Amino acid sequence: MKIAMKLLDQFLEKSALVGNNNRIMKIADFQNEFNKDQFEYIHVPSFDLALDCCAGEAGIGRALIEADFAIGETGSVVIDSCNENLRLASCLAEKLDVIFPLSKLVGSMHDVAEFLEERTSGSGGYVAFITGASRTADIERVLTVGVHGPKKMTVIILNDL
Amino acid sequence: MTIQTQIDEKLNDKVLYQNLKGFATAYKASKVNAYKGLDFQVLRTKVHDLKDRDLNKVMQQFNLFRENVEKHGCKVFQAHTGDDACRYIADVLKDHGVKYMVKSKSMTSEEIQLNQYLEKEGLSPIETDLGEWILQIANEHPSHMVMPAIHKTRQQVAKIFSDYTGEEVDSENIKAMVEIARRFLRESYFKSGVGMTGANVAVASTGTIGLITNEGNARLSSTVPPVHIVLVGYEKLCDDFSQALDIVRVLPKSATGQIITSYTTWIKGRVPSHKNEDGIKETHYVFLDNGRLAFFEHPKFKEALKCIRCGSCANICPAYEMVGGHVYGDRYIGSIGLILTALYQGDEAAKDILKMCIGCRACSFNCPSGIDLQSLISDLKLVVGKKYGINPIKEKVFKTVVAKPKRMKSLLSLGASFQFPLTSTHKLNQEKIIKTVPMLPKEMDFRKFPALASKTFSKRFFKDGYDQFSSQRKVFFYPGCAIEYFYPEMGLAMVKLLQKSGIQVDIPKTAACCGIPSIASGDPDNAKTMIYNTLDNLNDAADYEALLVLCPTCGGAIKHEFLDFTKEDPDRYKKASQLGSMVTPVGKFLEDNNIKFKLLGQNTVTYHTPCHDSRSLDYSAEAFLSTVLGKQFIPLTDSNVCCGFGGTYSLDFSSISNGILNKKIENIDATQADILVTDCPGCVMQINGGLMHQNKAVKVMHLTEFIEKHLVVVE
Repeated sequence: MKIAMKLLDQFLEKSALVGNNNRIMKIADFQNEFNKDQFEYIHVPSFDLALDCCAGEAGIGRALIEADFAIGETGSVVIDSCNENLRLASCLAEKLDVIFPLSKLVGSMHDVAEFLEERTSGSGGYVAFITGASRTADIERVLTVGVHGPKKMTVIILNDL
Repeated sequence: MTIQTQIDEKLNDKVLYQNLKGFATAYKASKVNAYKGLDFQVLRTKVHDLKDRDLNKVMQQFNLFRENVEKHGCKVFQAHTGDDACRYIADVLKDHGVKYMVKSKSMTSEEIQLNQYLEKEGLSPIETDLGEWILQIANEHPSHMVMPAIHKTRQQVAKIFSDYTGEEVDSENIKAMVEIARRFLRESYFKSGVGMTGANVAVASTGTIGLITNEGNARLSSTVPPVHIVLVGYEKLCDDFSQALDIVRVLPKSATGQIITSYTTWIKGRVPSHKNEDGIKETHYVFLDNGRLAFFEHPKFKEALKCIRCGSCANICPAYEMVGGHVYGDRYIGSIGLILTALYQGDEAAKDILKMCIGCRACSFNCPSGIDLQSLISDLKLVVGKKYGINPIKEKVFKTVVAKPKRMKSLLSLGASFQFPLTSTHKLNQEKIIKTVPMLPKEMDFRKFPALASKTFSKRFFKDGYDQFSSQRKVFFYPGCAIEYFYPEMGLAMVKLLQKSGIQVDIPKTAACCGIPSIASGDPDNAKTMIYNTLDNLNDAADYEALLVLCPTCGGAIKHEFLDFTKEDPDRYKKASQLGSMVTPVGKFLEDNNIKFKLLGQNTVTYHTPCHDSRSLDYSAEAFLSTVLGKQFIPLTDSNVCCGFGGTYSLDFSSISNGILNKKIENIDATQADILVTDCPGCVMQINGGLMHQNKAVKVMHLTEFIEKHLVVVE
């Protein structure tokens, strides 16, 4: 438990460093607060929550996606995005919310090496480590978010799952 | 345009100066933070070792990758040349009747000049990385591998955007400019029939590529259009995800000082794509040779193929920081750019830019793949120097003077006797300098030159009887040319100090040059003569505790370069190897022998770490001075960054040398120290010369002189 908390602290620190809004919740709180109407795309298989759409050039407002893993070393979430609509939503949402159970938090990038191997061994695969909003520093090294993709990222960690 | 004209143009570019200087400072701090808690040496050794392979191994990785993607219907094309790759990509577009292709940043596509090729064919590639897009619409090429438009200001970008879009652009509002890019490029993803990306890694075990971006443009380029082309050099292959992640761990940290980028994306072949009839993405992999494959078998240059394109060799290069990537490199930029230009485009293309390396070795120590970049540049300098010739005056001086120790001695003695009409005493520190150098070009007039010593070090050593002191404990001292002819006091200070501690000091019977001036100028033949002269004049290692040097550049030469130049002569090689292992900077010798000092007086002192102390001899006197001086020691910002000397470099590229020196002087000013100590006579010549030229009263001293004048031995 102690190790898990240390790992969580590490994740939160790195995730905050890239400007993410981090939220730690219990399942019940999440379920109480959850409002389907806020989102245009939802993919949270742990709670059977789904709302499909094929994001186009205009983009979408907000997407909620469950991560397969999260990495303490870097503050990243790991999302299998082979599903094209999921991929488009995660690329084109103005706001990206990512949720994962604390039990899916691992320490090092190498802890997901097997997962990467498994998910990209077939005919097609697409796995993303996402660490913050879409950003650039290409003009005078000034950090600016939202150059192509999400402008804001929220990470929700369920600490009782 | 000659290289000198290009350099002058960049040195006059104030925007470039500020941008690169600001970046260099910010980068160093972010990088330290990003690697906090990690062992950089361990990480880079891992990357170095996983990339250490021969052609056979790379082709095994390639065949496995190909098998893994072809069995699912992806296409793999092996491009022998850049044109082959361009043609294949153009054909994919034409076969699909596609005009627009979005592409994410790919240095490999810069290498083969893909955009120019496609545009000639009437096709429209669209760069989607913001920096690349800015340059594409401005019709320029990148000046940095990771931050391509680092040479542009917001005002310049605003002008480019306003010309391109016809809209009014607020020249102060970067956020609004980024919004413009978002709007225009969003449309591009959806109108393009093909998306192209590079690959930061290509994982053989599954046929997966890994892409590292912050903007997310590679994700969109590989997702929205129905066709995906991957352009990748064979050197990006690795065995498995464990290796790939070892690379991902260092790449962003070394590139921009980020722990990780916003997106690290792993893509395998035929993902769903609703725009295709069968609902599956069409994927092409273009593997590029363009000269690389040959070098996997080269004993030294295969090192260059370990590059992961982070750009950190440019980020910490003092010469790059002065002129930027449009001059310091070609299609690839920074130290690796000098090397890859020679390997991929041929030595003719690289012969001038190679000379701009000052030899400080910072890149070799910063490379996250553990490539000894500076030594590869040095080797290439020798190749092009021999093939295309070097400055004829220099060659003549090397051949007829420096490589002939006796002639050098008599000529410089003559010079010392007849220089008096030209010398004067500097009013601030009473040092003897050359008042005016006749016919000195203006750009070289940025520092005062020291006068030749009236008597050489060796002459005084033997004449004053320092050779008579005998003891069981013996060291051998190699003075090198600077101590011998310009600064004998530095050597004598050391001799007196050691003899007081009961240590006998022997020196060569005849002084000879260590060969570094010739090596740095690309003149292998004269370098070899000088190295043989020196080696033959050094006593055998067995009789001594250490081979002491006061010039770490000479010391580094004995330790490293002497081995390269004696490979065909087993006796000399053995001697060089034995002596090389004994080379010790004087500060280290004092520390190792636990000789303790205390400070006299109230002076404040700062310290410049010579490049070849820290990076050839693995030593810096900073800790020693800090311990002895306590609060009177003031650390110097960027202490171990080059002072801009580089021997004859400071004459060949005087304006770059001067620019680097000015940054050093700014940092010295900021310490407000009374004395600057360093332990290389070359650095003393440069820094002292600059300070005197600018009439600054900081006293510059070699460590040995500082000890003699300001410290006492504690018994």
